Amino acid sequence: MDLSIILTFLIFGLPLAGFPFVIGVGFVKKNYSMYLGTSLIFISFLISLYVMFTYTVKGILLQYSFNWLPSLPAIIPLGVYADNLSMIMALMVSFVGFLIILFSVGYMKEDPNRHVFFGEMVLFTSSMLGLILASSLLMLFIFWELVGLCSYLLIGFWYYKPNAASAAKKAFIVTRVGDVFFIAGIGAAILYSSGGALSVAGLGSIHLMWQKTIVSLLLFGGAIGKSAQFPLHVWIPDAMEGPTTVSALIHAATMVTAGVYLIARTYTIFTPVSLSVVLYIGVVTIILSGLIGLVVNDIKRILAYSTIGQIGYMVAALGLGLGATSIGLSIYQLEAHAFFKALLFLAAGSILHAVMNVRDINKMGGLWKKMPITVTSMFVGALALSGFPGLAGFFSKDSIITASYGVSIFVWALLAIGGFLTTLYAFRMFFKVALGKPRSNAAEHAHESSWIMLIPIVILAAFSVIFGIFQQGFYTFLNPASVVVPLGIAPLKLMDFIPVILMLLGMGLAYYVWGRNSTIPKTVANGAQDFYLLVKNKFYLDVFFTNVIAERGILGLSAVSDGFERRAIGGLVNLSGDVFENSGKILRKIQTGLARQYVLIILIGLILSLLLLRILMGV
Amino acid sequence: MMFQLSYLLLALVLIMVASMVAREKTARYLTVLFAALVFVFVISNDMTMTTFAYGTLSILTLTFQLNFVSSVLLLLISFVGVFVPLRYASSPGFFVLLQFLLFSLVGLFTTRDFIVFYIFWEMVLIPSFFVIGIWGGPSKNYAAMKFFIYTHIGSVFMLLAIFTMYFTEGASSFAMSTLTAGMNVVPVSYQAFIIFGFLFAFLIKLPSAPLHSWLPDAYVEAPSEGTVFISSLLSKMGAFGLLVIFSPIFMASSFAGNSAVPIALMALGIFSLIYSALVALYQKDLKRMMSYTSIGHMSFITIAVGGFLYLNGTNPLDSQLLYYGAVFQLISHGIIISMIFALVDTLEKTAGTRSIPSLGGLARQLPALSFLIIAAFLASVAIPGFSGFVGEILILLGSFAVLKYYLIFVLIGVVLTASYHIFALQKTVFGPYNEFLGNIKAKREELLVEILPLALIFLLGIYPALIFHTFNIHVIQFLGGIH
Repeated sequence: MDLSIILTFLIFGLPLAGFPFVIGVGFVKKNYSMYLGTSLIFISFLISLYVMFTYTVKGILLQYSFNWLPSLPAIIPLGVYADNLSMIMALMVSFVGFLIILFSVGYMKEDPNRHVFFGEMVLFTSSMLGLILASSLLMLFIFWELVGLCSYLLIGFWYYKPNAASAAKKAFIVTRVGDVFFIAGIGAAILYSSGGALSVAGLGSIHLMWQKTIVSLLLFGGAIGKSAQFPLHVWIPDAMEGPTTVSALIHAATMVTAGVYLIARTYTIFTPVSLSVVLYIGVVTIILSGLIGLVVNDIKRILAYSTIGQIGYMVAALGLGLGATSIGLSIYQLEAHAFFKALLFLAAGSILHAVMNVRDINKMGGLWKKMPITVTSMFVGALALSGFPGLAGFFSKDSIITASYGVSIFVWALLAIGGFLTTLYAFRMFFKVALGKPRSNAAEHAHESSWIMLIPIVILAAFSVIFGIFQQGFYTFLNPASVVVPLGIAPLKLMDFIPVILMLLGMGLAYYVWGRNSTIPKTVANGAQDFYLLVKNKFYLDVFFTNVIAERGILGLSAVSDGFERRAIGGLVNLSGDVFENSGKILRKIQTGLARQYVLIILIGLILSLLLLRILMGV
Repeated sequence: MMFQLSYLLLALVLIMVASMVAREKTARYLTVLFAALVFVFVISNDMTMTTFAYGTLSILTLTFQLNFVSSVLLLLISFVGVFVPLRYASSPGFFVLLQFLLFSLVGLFTTRDFIVFYIFWEMVLIPSFFVIGIWGGPSKNYAAMKFFIYTHIGSVFMLLAIFTMYFTEGASSFAMSTLTAGMNVVPVSYQAFIIFGFLFAFLIKLPSAPLHSWLPDAYVEAPSEGTVFISSLLSKMGAFGLLVIFSPIFMASSFAGNSAVPIALMALGIFSLIYSALVALYQKDLKRMMSYTSIGHMSFITIAVGGFLYLNGTNPLDSQLLYYGAVFQLISHGIIISMIFALVDTLEKTAGTRSIPSLGGLARQLPALSFLIIAAFLASVAIPGFSGFVGEILILLGSFAVLKYYLIFVLIGVVLTASYHIFALQKTVFGPYNEFLGNIKAKREELLVEILPLALIFLLGIYPALIFHTFNIHVIQFLGGIH
C-alpha cells in the first residue's frame, strides 16, 4: 500500500483506533483523556493538511478498496476515496472538530465523566471523517450509523436528566427513520447496477433514468433525517439537551452536514425529478425554520433552528441542479456555516457557562459589557449568519440566492425571504443577549470565560470574517468546471442588492423591536394570534410525531398487539390444550372396567370396519 | 490427517459419561472441554465442506457433512459450551443436560439422513424440557409442557413429511441427498404436504409469529442459563432446517419457480418482525421483552429464505447476499442474545427486579453493567461495528431485489425494533436513578465473563471475513444438491 493511502486511512483511522485509549487513560487520570483526545484530532488535522497539499492540490485522486466480505462475488468494497470534495471536507471537519474539542477542555473540565465525553467526541469526529473519505456507499453508511450512534450517546451524555434521555431517544429514532431509506437506497443501487454502484467511483453504472431517480430519492430520504430537513427536523431542537460543545460539533462539523455531503457525493445519480424534490424540501425547511426561530426563547434552540435553515440553503443549492456549480455553492455554504455556527455555539456555550446554564434569552441581557470578547465574537457570528456584506455568510448564502434567480423567480423570492427571517431571528437573539439590562441574577454576575475557551472562539470569528476571500479559489478547487462568479467581482445586477437590503432592513427591524424596551412583539403576537400559535407550536409537527404517531399510533397498536398476543394467540393455544384435556376427561368414562361393555365396543368396531372395507374396497 | 466426526462424537459421549459419574464441579469444567473439542473439530477441518461417510446401519445412512452452515453453527455451539459454564455455577445435573443438548445439536447440524435428523431433533427437546421443568420460575410446569407439546406437534408433521417422501419415492434409504433429489417424482399434492410439513416444524422452532407462543413462556420461565442456551441454539434448529433442509427440498420440487410459498414466507417474516416489535414495545418485564427480540431477529431468516427462494437463482448476487446474511445472522444472533439474557440475569440479581418501571438511571450506580447493556442492545439494534449489523444489512440489501417497495414494511420493523431497545435503555440505564434500589453493586466476575461475547461481537462486526471466508461461493448449486 502506498504511503498516501496509509496517510488517508490514518486521517480517520487514528482517532477511531485511539478513542478506546482516550477513555482508557481516563481511568488513570481524567485530564489525560482531554489531552489525548485533543491531540488525536489535531494530528488528524495535520495529516489531512499534509495529504491535501501533497496530493490533492496536485490533482492526485487517492483511491483504495479492499473486500470486506470475501466470497461474495460482487465485492463489498471498503476503503478510501479522497478527491477534492472529500479532502476539503476532511480538512474542515478535523479543523473545526479540533477547535470544538479544545473548547471542551475548558468547558467540561469539571465533569466527572469527562473521559467518556472526550472518547465519544473523538469517535464522533473520526466517524465523520470516515464517512467523508469512504470509498463505497456501504462504508459511508457504516460511518453514517456510527455518527448517529455518537450523537445518541452525546446528546444523552447527561443521562440523569430526563429531558436529555428523552431527547437522545428522539434523535436516535428520528434519524433511524431516515437511515432505513438510506439502506433501501443502497439495496436499490446494488440491484440496478449488479453491485457496481456500491463504490463511489462506480455510481455511474446505474443507467436508466427512473432507476437513478429511485436510488437518489431513497438516499435523499437518509439525508433528510441526518441533515434535519423538513419533516424529520424535529430531533434537532430537542438535541440541545446535550452539552453545548456537542451541539456545536453536531451542527457545525459533523452529523447534520453528512446529509449534504451524501447528496454532493452521489450527485451524478440525481435526476431533474429528484433534484426538484431536493430543492423544495430545502426551501420549505428554510421558511419553516426561519419562522419558528423567531418565537423560540431558548438560545440554543434558536441556533438549532438557524442550523436547520442554513442546511436548507445547502440542500436548496444542490436542488438548483446546476451541476458542479451546485456542489460548489452548497459545499462553500457548508464550510462557511461550519465556521460561524461553531462560533455561535461556542459563544453560546461560553455565555451559558457564565450564567449557570439558564438558556432563556429573556433571562439574559446586558452581557456585552460583562463578557466583551465572547459577545463581540457572537456579534461577528450573527453578522456572518445573516450575510452581512464582507463576511463569510454573505459570500456563501447570497451566491446561492443569486444563482437561484436563474432557475426560478419563485424560489429566489423564497430564499431571499428566508435570508430576511434569518437576520431577524439572529439579531433578535443577539440584541436580547447583549443589550439592555441583565434580567436575572445569573446574568448580573456573569464574567468572561477562561482563555482556553476564548482562543477557539476568536479563531473561529477570524475565519468567519476572512473566509469570503477564498470563494473563487474554493469553487475552482472543488471543480474547475464550476461557473459561479463570486459576488463582488461579478457585474452586479439590481437584483443582487435585494438580499443585502433585506438583511440590513432585518437588522434595523430587529433592533427596533427587540433591541429596546418595546411592546411590539406582544402586540404582534396578540394581533395575529392564530398564526403566532401555529408558529409557536412549531406547526404542530412535534405534536403530530410524538403525540399522534408515536403515542397514539405506535403505542396504541402495541397495546392492541399485546392484547392480541395474550388473549387471541395465547388463548387459542391454551384452548386447544383444554380441548384435548377435557375430551380426555370425557373419553375416560368409557373405561368402565366391565368386560361385557368392552366386548360390545369391540363388536361395534368390528362391524363398522367391515362396513367401511366393503364400501371402500367393494369386497 | 482429518479430524473424524466419529472420533468427535465418541469423545463427546465419553465426556458426558465422565460428567455423569464425576462429583461436584467437574461437570462444569468438562463442558468447557466438550466445547473446546467441537471448536477444534471445526477448525481442523478448515471449516470447508467435508463429508464423513460411515456406511449404513439397517435403513439408516450414517453420512455426515460439515458444510458452511453447520460449521458456523458448530462454532456457535462451542461458544455456548464455553460461555454458559464460565458464567453460571449451576448444579452438575444441569451441565450433563447441557452436554447432552450440545451433543444432539452437533449430530443434528451434521447428519445427512432424515431419520437420524429426526432422532436428534427430538433428543434436543429432552434436556430443554427438564431444564425448564426443574430449575424454572414460578409457572415452570406450564411453560415446560407448552414448550414440549407445541414443538412436538411440529416434529410430528416433519416426521409425516419424511415418511411421505420415503414411501412415494419408493426409496431404499432415508439419505437426504437421494430423497431430496427424488422430489420431482412425488405427486404434486404429496409434494405440497411435504413442503407444508417441513415448513410447519421449522417455523415453530424458529419461531415465526403466529407460531411463537411457546417462546415467551419458555424463555421467561427457564432459569437464566437455560434461557441462554435455548435462545441462542434452539432457534437455530429452525433456521438450519429452513436453510439447509427445506430450501433444497423446495428447489428440487415442482414448486421451484412458483412464487406463492416464498411470498408467504416473506409476508410471514415481515409480520413476525413488526408484530414482535410491537408486542415487545408494550412489555414491562425486560426478560419478556428480550424474548420478543429473538423472534424479531429470527424473522430476518424467514425473509431471507423467502427472498432467496423467490429469486430461484435468477439473481445470483442478491441471492447470495440473502443467504450469507442469513447464515451470518445465525451466529451473530446466537452470541448477542446469550449476552443479553446473561446481562438481564445479572441485572435481576443485582437490582432485585427486572421490571422496567422499577429500574432507572442505572448508569450512575452500575456503570460497567450499564455499559455492557448498552453495547448488547446496540448490537441487537444492528449498529455497525457490532456483528448484528453484518447479517441484518446483507438481508436488507438483498431483499430489495425481491420486495422492492414492500421493503418499507421491513424497514418499519427495523425502526420499531430500534425503538423498543432505545425505549428500554431510556427507562433503565438512563434517566434519574431510582433511589429505592439503594446502594447496589454488580458481581465483578459475572461482568468479566461478558467480555467474551462482547469481544466476539466486535470481532465479527469489524472483521466478518473470519466467518465469510468459509462461505461456499456456489450457494445455489450447494442447495440444489444435484450438481
